[in-house]
Amino acid sequence: MVSGRRTALAAWLFLAPALVLLAAFSFWPVGFGSYLAFTDYSLIRPTSSVGLDNFRYIFDNEMFVTGLKNSLVFLLMVPFVQIGALGLAVLVNNRLPGIRLFRAAFYVPVVTTVSVVGIMWGFMFHEQGALNYMLMALRFVDAPVGWLSNDTLALFCIMFVTLWRGLGWYMVMYLAALQAVPAEMQEAAILDGASRWQRFWKITVPMLHPTIMVCTILSVLAALKAYQEVDVLTQGGPMNSTFTALYYSYDQGLKHLKLPRALAASFVVSVFCVGIAMLCLRYLKPRQK
Amino acid sequence: MKTRTVLHYAVLCAIALVCVFPFWWTVVTALSTEGNVFAFPPTFWPKSPSLANFEEAFRVIPFLAFFKNSVLIAALTVFWKLALCSMAAYPLARMHFRGRRLVFGLILATLVLPSEVNFLVNFITVTKLSLVDTYAGVILPNVVTAVAILLLKQAFEEVPQDLIDAARVDGASEWIIFTRIMLPLIAPWLATVGILTAVEAWNEYIWPSIVMSKPDEFPLSVGVLYLRGTFGSSTRVIAAGTVLTILPTLAAFLFTQRYFMRGMDGAVK
Amino acid sequence: MKIKLLLTALMALGAATLVAAAPPVQKIEFWTFSMKPKFTPYFEGLARSYEAAHPGIKIEWVDFPWDIIQTKLVTRIVAGTPPALVNLNVPWADEFARDGLLTPVDELLQGARQRYLASTLEDLTFGGKTYGFPMYSNVAVISYNTDIFKAAGLTRAPNSLDEQLAFARQIAQRTGKAGLCPALSKIDGLMMQQGLPVIKDGRAAFNSPAHVALVAKLAATYKAGGLLKDSLFAEDNFPAAIDAYKGGRLGMLLAPPTAVKRIETDAKDIYAKTGVAPAPLGPTGIADGGWLVHFAVPAGVDKKLLPQIGEFARYLTNDANQLAFAKQASVYPAAAEAARDPFFLAVPPGAGAAEKAVSAGAVSMPHSHTLYVSGVTDYDELRRSLVKAVEAGVTGRQDIQQALDAAAAIWNKKLARQSKLSRIQGQTPIAAQLASSQPALMPLSGPSRIWGQTPNAAQAGWGAGGIW
Repeated sequence: MVSGRRTALAAWLFLAPALVLLAAFSFWPVGFGSYLAFTDYSLIRPTSSVGLDNFRYIFDNEMFVTGLKNSLVFLLMVPFVQIGALGLAVLVNNRLPGIRLFRAAFYVPVVTTVSVVGIMWGFMFHEQGALNYMLMALRFVDAPVGWLSNDTLALFCIMFVTLWRGLGWYMVMYLAALQAVPAEMQEAAILDGASRWQRFWKITVPMLHPTIMVCTILSVLAALKAYQEVDVLTQGGPMNSTFTALYYSYDQGLKHLKLPRALAASFVVSVFCVGIAMLCLRYLKPRQK
Repeated sequence: MKTRTVLHYAVLCAIALVCVFPFWWTVVTALSTEGNVFAFPPTFWPKSPSLANFEEAFRVIPFLAFFKNSVLIAALTVFWKLALCSMAAYPLARMHFRGRRLVFGLILATLVLPSEVNFLVNFITVTKLSLVDTYAGVILPNVVTAVAILLLKQAFEEVPQDLIDAARVDGASEWIIFTRIMLPLIAPWLATVGILTAVEAWNEYIWPSIVMSKPDEFPLSVGVLYLRGTFGSSTRVIAAGTVLTILPTLAAFLFTQRYFMRGMDGAVK
Repeated sequence: MKIKLLLTALMALGAATLVAAAPPVQKIEFWTFSMKPKFTPYFEGLARSYEAAHPGIKIEWVDFPWDIIQTKLVTRIVAGTPPALVNLNVPWADEFARDGLLTPVDELLQGARQRYLASTLEDLTFGGKTYGFPMYSNVAVISYNTDIFKAAGLTRAPNSLDEQLAFARQIAQRTGKAGLCPALSKIDGLMMQQGLPVIKDGRAAFNSPAHVALVAKLAATYKAGGLLKDSLFAEDNFPAAIDAYKGGRLGMLLAPPTAVKRIETDAKDIYAKTGVAPAPLGPTGIADGGWLVHFAVPAGVDKKLLPQIGEFARYLTNDANQLAFAKQASVYPAAAEAARDPFFLAVPPGAGAAEKAVSAGAVSMPHSHTLYVSGVTDYDELRRSLVKAVEAGVTGRQDIQQALDAAAAIWNKKLARQSKLSRIQGQTPIAAQLASSQPALMPLSGPSRIWGQTPNAAQAGWGAGGIW
């Protein structure tokens, strides 16, 4: 690490273009949006401050409260996504013939447009859809299961689709990180007689620690902010059980143009994001080298 | 060894099946010209396969124009994103200066703060800057992201300090160190962030549709929406359009893999 | 030399006055959704012939996919550069008008009011002002799978909701397939169509014995397997319903003629077996599923341009043009004279289901209304709690009376708060407005409306996301 005046100048010069763009297109709208959460902004009519009214409204609203609860439930997914993606990365981190195709196959869910995802999984989860067909053919169930019409099952189906979409993305991350593990360390360990398992835990994982931390935080934030899968699969039903906090915000904001409420909802989500992200940073930080 | 390889492949195939299956159904639908699209049990192989639906998709929308727009937007986004985000990540990773923590915190903050109204405010900004209907208007608001900066910062942190110190001792300027030494060293990460950015930019449809006011300038992600006209849309043609949108990204991913898979010699088996 | 200079100066002056004298070209930009490429010749032709007849006016036609037009409109209005005219449907128009995003067009309609079907203008009148130039209307018809009907022992189309439900039960019993997939997320509309008010005197009225009986009928049909289980209560269950029908898994489908055409492309075998009948009118005499599309003027449009915009809008929606469009698109014109054209009642020889659907729909057209409950803020949240209660009752998870009572309690709490607020703000108390939500028997007028059926496009576009 270098310090000093010359360094500081250089640092700011490097940062300048990015910061200017962030200021114009991120900080400004976010700041303005946060202010709007405390007003009765309605696009055309003059705006006036309404204090905490929007917040009171959303906490009184069953859809938002359920949504907040569900967004927290989504966090359960994070370990599965991360472990799954890391596992996939390990599985494809080799030179077996055709491995490139497998990597591309795992990446397909990431590149598939979200509405196609909705149509396809809607078709799978349909009461007379592919999943029930296979389950009944294999005699696992006797009658078709209402995956998306049952309020407990529906949320887990949506979580599964979100996981399905995310695996490939994080797999690519972990793949890149695995490249950085020096081969010599592995070879030395093999010579010392370490088993695959020991090598994995004692060498690979610690080297991957920074990536794991970054990916976990991103995954946590994505889980709290999930909404697209709800939009394309259930639109909040059945019986308002699959709302997520940000889906409520999206619904209010873009479909009903109630922007202050949408902003209040996402403001609340941000508070959670900040809190949980800080927790992750504290407990997952790699020890200083 | 052999059984292990077979098992390995078996697991890979099983997972690949789950990942690819929905896309496969889309391809089957796009290739079919007969039969019932929504039959149950579902068909897993095209009936009377032909490229008719693809031809129809080409006929109904100006496909090549949309494709060109998508390529331009994706290419420009990748270039500027890698350039600007790496420039921002470098000092955060490797330099001490007052305000470093604050800047990093601010950047992280963009990840967690509400962004629902961003599109509206950004459109007003873009209008005021006369960037409506321009590629700059489409790209600039989203070209710097916290995720990219985070990832590249972490990439920079892995570069051994001695290399940098040696260069500094030689009297090289920061810019030379950055471009000649640091960037090449994190090339795989640049490639990774690059391909992820390219895919995201390719699939982005809301923001370009807002900034561009003439439909000829829409990228493919918006253009395929025209296939679903109010008065006449065939699910098969829509499926064909979807396949045509997804294929380029898959192809790009397949062919750029070698750029972020390096050092395969002696890799863990 | 001097003369040359003088001559040049004179010429320059002359040229300047010539340029100044030429009238500035006024541009009128109008938006349609998802009309390209099928109707490109139609709209281009309209634009060019209008320009030829009106020098000095340039007409620009832009067509956007259905999925993005709402967002685009909002951003353009807020940025101050709205188009002159935009294609909208009634629910969108209602929300936009309520938020002040549309310009009333009463003055622009002038004498042309009589040209349009009275019901269409009523649908576009909110708070006493009219907000659009009606363009075309879609009316649902019943398509039924003749094979399934035969297997279930049914010989004709149903004539009422009760018959629809009874037929559905019979279909389920005899063939094991579902018979019907009503849009139960619009249960408020269904109730009102059957003559049961949703709000009375500012309080929820849907927990009366009559309402409970209706839900009980739905529940019985559900239990017998007559209703399509998946997506029954989804916000937009039309895609699921039409897909099931195309797959041969649904006996009856309520759909506009344009959707029937889609069955032809996607499922020829089912199309060949499809019979068509006019949608049953409820006891109120209203046809279910009217869908009106019109041209609205966004807020913030240049006021000086309004007269020209009005003139162009009247041209765009005159009888001849509406008739031409409706014929091409298999929809119904909203202009009175065009609607009387015999084209819509004639069934050409060798007609398939789609053509028959057009004439079947024409029968119900005069009785169709885009119906919804207006005048209540945040109505969507209330509707959702009602849908949830009905879902609990129909699926048997909760006793129907209890579920409806619980929802009524929520409604009354919110309505009371709104009523208090509007009294404080000096507005018309909600009670008076909602009193007329009791649907009258023909002719229908006033602010009572029922939500119409959503069109065939799903809300989620084929676009992408992916913010991982």
